[in-house]
Amino acid sequence: MNPALTASLLRGTFAANGWRILLTIACIALGVALGGAVHTIHTSALAEIDRSARALAGAADLEVRWPSSGFDDALFAKVARLPGVVAANPVVDINAALPGGESLRVLGIDAFRAMAMQPAFVASAASTGSGQVATLLDADALWLSPAAASRLKLAAGGTVRLGTSEGLRDFRVGGVLPGLQAGEVGVMDIASAQLHFGRLGKLSRIDVRVGSDVAAVRESLSTMLPPGVVVSGAASISGRAAELTRAYRVNLDALALVALATGAFLVFSTLALQAARRRQELALLRALGITRGGIVALLSLEGAALGTAGALVGTLLGLAGSRALLSGSGADLGAGYFGGASGAFSPDAWVLGGIAFLGIAMSVAGALWVARAVNRIDVAEALRDRAIDLPAQAHGSALPAMLLAAAGIPLLFTPPIAGLPLGGYAAIALWLAAAIASVAPLCRAVFDRLSPRSAIAQLALAQVRHLPGHLTASVAGIVVSASLCVAMAILVFSFRVTLTDWLGGVVGADLYARASASGDGLYFMPDDQARIASIPGVASIEALRYDRLAIAGAAAPLSLVARPIDERILAGFQVEPRGLPPPGPEPAVWISEAARDLHGWTAGQRITLPIAGRSVEVRVAGVVRDYARTWGAVLIDDRDYRRLTGDVRANDLAIHLSPGTDPAAIESAIRAALPRMHGLQLEEAGEIRRKSLQIFDRSFAVTYALEAIAIIIGLAGVTSSFAAMAWSRKREFGVLRFLGLRRREILAMIAVEGAAAGALGALIGLVSGVAISLVLVRVVNRQSFHWTLEVHWPVTALLLLVGGIIAACALGARFSGSLAVRKEAVLAVKDDA
Amino acid sequence: MARARARWWDRSSASSPGSELLELRGLGKSFGSGAPLLAGVDLHVSPGEWVAIVGESGSGKSTLLNIVAGLDRPERGEVLLEGRPLDFGDDDALALWRRRHVGFVFQAFHLLPYLSVEQNVALPLALLGAPAAQRASQARALLDTVGLASMAGRRPSTLSGGEMQRAAIARALANSPRLLLADEPTGNLDEANASGVLDCLANAVRQAGAAALMVTHSRVAASRADRVLTLAGGKLR
Repeated sequence: MNPALTASLLRGTFAANGWRILLTIACIALGVALGGAVHTIHTSALAEIDRSARALAGAADLEVRWPSSGFDDALFAKVARLPGVVAANPVVDINAALPGGESLRVLGIDAFRAMAMQPAFVASAASTGSGQVATLLDADALWLSPAAASRLKLAAGGTVRLGTSEGLRDFRVGGVLPGLQAGEVGVMDIASAQLHFGRLGKLSRIDVRVGSDVAAVRESLSTMLPPGVVVSGAASISGRAAELTRAYRVNLDALALVALATGAFLVFSTLALQAARRRQELALLRALGITRGGIVALLSLEGAALGTAGALVGTLLGLAGSRALLSGSGADLGAGYFGGASGAFSPDAWVLGGIAFLGIAMSVAGALWVARAVNRIDVAEALRDRAIDLPAQAHGSALPAMLLAAAGIPLLFTPPIAGLPLGGYAAIALWLAAAIASVAPLCRAVFDRLSPRSAIAQLALAQVRHLPGHLTASVAGIVVSASLCVAMAILVFSFRVTLTDWLGGVVGADLYARASASGDGLYFMPDDQARIASIPGVASIEALRYDRLAIAGAAAPLSLVARPIDERILAGFQVEPRGLPPPGPEPAVWISEAARDLHGWTAGQRITLPIAGRSVEVRVAGVVRDYARTWGAVLIDDRDYRRLTGDVRANDLAIHLSPGTDPAAIESAIRAALPRMHGLQLEEAGEIRRKSLQIFDRSFAVTYALEAIAIIIGLAGVTSSFAAMAWSRKREFGVLRFLGLRRREILAMIAVEGAAAGALGALIGLVSGVAISLVLVRVVNRQSFHWTLEVHWPVTALLLLVGGIIAACALGARFSGSLAVRKEAVLAVKDDA
Repeated sequence: MARARARWWDRSSASSPGSELLELRGLGKSFGSGAPLLAGVDLHVSPGEWVAIVGESGSGKSTLLNIVAGLDRPERGEVLLEGRPLDFGDDDALALWRRRHVGFVFQAFHLLPYLSVEQNVALPLALLGAPAAQRASQARALLDTVGLASMAGRRPSTLSGGEMQRAAIARALANSPRLLLADEPTGNLDEANASGVLDCLANAVRQAGAAALMVTHSRVAASRADRVLTLAGGKLR
């Protein structure tokens, strides 16, 4: 086709429908912006974690680390002397408590060894002055990264108070390390860190620089390390962070893509309506010699133009939005995975380009679908008549929908791929497609059976039965967004109720004490525990001790929880099989579902765990539910733990009160009994449960936002379709006015049409949403996070959602129609109107 | 109030033989600052009388028809049906009045594409609240009258122009109108179809006993009416 003619036709199309075109572009832009912003925020967070990790790793090739309680520092000499090791740097890594409940990461380093491997840890003589170099070894000196100095508003010579194992202690700020771009970090001499934070004889990490053969040295290290201590690549934390958060990030990306897909329906609806109104024009072009391929090209160009405009605006919006969010509130979108990551903006151009391309591709795909319908137009008939719709497909059966639904079933049973529930996602996509394909046949099946008495309702249903192709696309948009909302509502409600029940079981004491609200290195020693137990009103206490166990080959360490275990506790954790196991030669442990899935362990199996530097054989007595830890946990009775480790410390205490005891009075008594525990945190069980649910609700904030946007886009599509339909039915409305319908009766008819379309979309969305929710609960959630959830039905919320969609469609249609009905009937029925 | 007015129009349905059903007194209407389109139009139409109004394009024929239908408001004068003036201030009452007493035939037929032919014909009865069975039987009877009984279940888009206009005439008779208004009923038809439609219209007027007012630019169509008037210079002659 002639480029000038093409440009002229495109200009004419877009000029004639300015507002609708703008709305369509806006919806595409919104979908692209959402996807781009979510991905950019996560990418930026991971990039910062990577930067920090690499800054901390310096020139190291490997790192030796775990458990969180530290390993014997005698290991350092063995590692340093290993053939192939050029340099080794011991590190103590502490999360030190600050007054007020915050914390500061403190690294204890060997300054002389650090100069060779991590020079950023050590200020140059030029910047410090030779007299200040000595402060590197000063037991009371702490050096800050620029980010830490900025947050704490401190400079060289200032004082920072930290919680240590002896209580609160002031440290002099030796200076700021300008090269340490690793987040908010403090650096001190390693001996000082070991002394002040209860790590005498312990290290957290050894950074290793290798001469040439990294793999050989890594192999040698792995064979000489004690159980629970592993060797990995330097800065491996960034890789671990990526892996830990992958399922969460992919889930959010998928949600954002659903919002984009909803916008794509609006593109299809717009182009279909355009094509329907230009039926005669397109027929004329065919009569004048333009081929079917030429029509396809023209419509594809229209779709590409809309998609490109939307993608461009959306990409810019997404970049601006993510930049603003990162600067303002950081990279945490509510789930806590990236809490603390600040606003370093690092967009991934390839991914953003891919999302933009997806937006364009969806628009072009919609245009191609419309082109198929256009090419079914009988040219001679179209030149003659005034119909305003495209030819329906020859078959409108329910078979495609049934086939799509059936095709999704086997995918439910596929295992995760790279830790991702790709089979589940594919099943969801197929079931969404099945829901969309069911709109036209269900419309006929449902509305053909209805025969209301009111003439207005009869007219409205007759119009909806007729269901123009572009309205079908709009209803499909409602189906997609309603499915998403229903599915997420059921998932979130089920999760919340399951979590609430679980919290009721595991948070069973009256009061909980934490040795430090933030930071480690502080514990309840046996004396502390005895003092609390002896307070009048305290019926009993349970000591809880936590550690991390590195399992060779695992992406993330297991959490070890040592606590008193009895029938009540196991019932709270919803253990399977139920009850306490019979005594046996090995200690019994209970593993979480994540540990079972990730390590392939089962109840009854004997496994080996690295506890206190030894390989300890234990028996898996059962599987518990644990919604607090994604990467696996092991519960062990505290008596077995103490026998195996000799560790009598406790991180937390669960305190049971005598009936009628005032918790506030007990709190005061505990604080009085433990004056040195400045960071002591006391909370009632109810408060813990409330805060846990608050965190839960916050973690879904972005999900709710994405759902709301998807619904808005869907409703915008329906309203826009009705507006266009109403405008093109002005003549019909005029005829009805001639026949004696009042304006408000015509508006009521349009409202009934809107309600019928909305009801169709909402009810199909409800059914498909329920099905998808079961996939989310039983497949996606299980494979992503390894949690079992009980399905609960938020009936009220679902009824409100369905009712809200129907009402919004009715009101939107009525509002759209009111503008068309305003035009005087006499003008509307004129031939040249 | 609209229902009260409608009932008032119902009570006035019994008119004495020979009395005027439709009367126009001094109707005036202008568009813009030019010469008035209607400059004092007077007209009397008796029950069962078919009056044709001819004139050139832009002479105000359709405007006159629309005023009679209560869809346009005159600047001067009144429209009386059986001696009662139309109240152009109450849109709802006029709508109800049209629903009960007026039948329309349009140049472009204007059958609703998403209803079958029978449903289109039955539409005025549906608006009057007639039961489904009554609607169906009356619609079929009317279609039989216009020779379209076999087309009842078809969509309008499958009919020829002449067939569509005959269906439209059947629709216009469905509510047993007192007043039948036709705006260029043969404007979109060829000669043969136009003749058939005019026969249909003539039968319809006779059977319904309604006052019929037809505007047309076709002298052939006008010649079928009982009386032909010319609208020129804003007046009827």
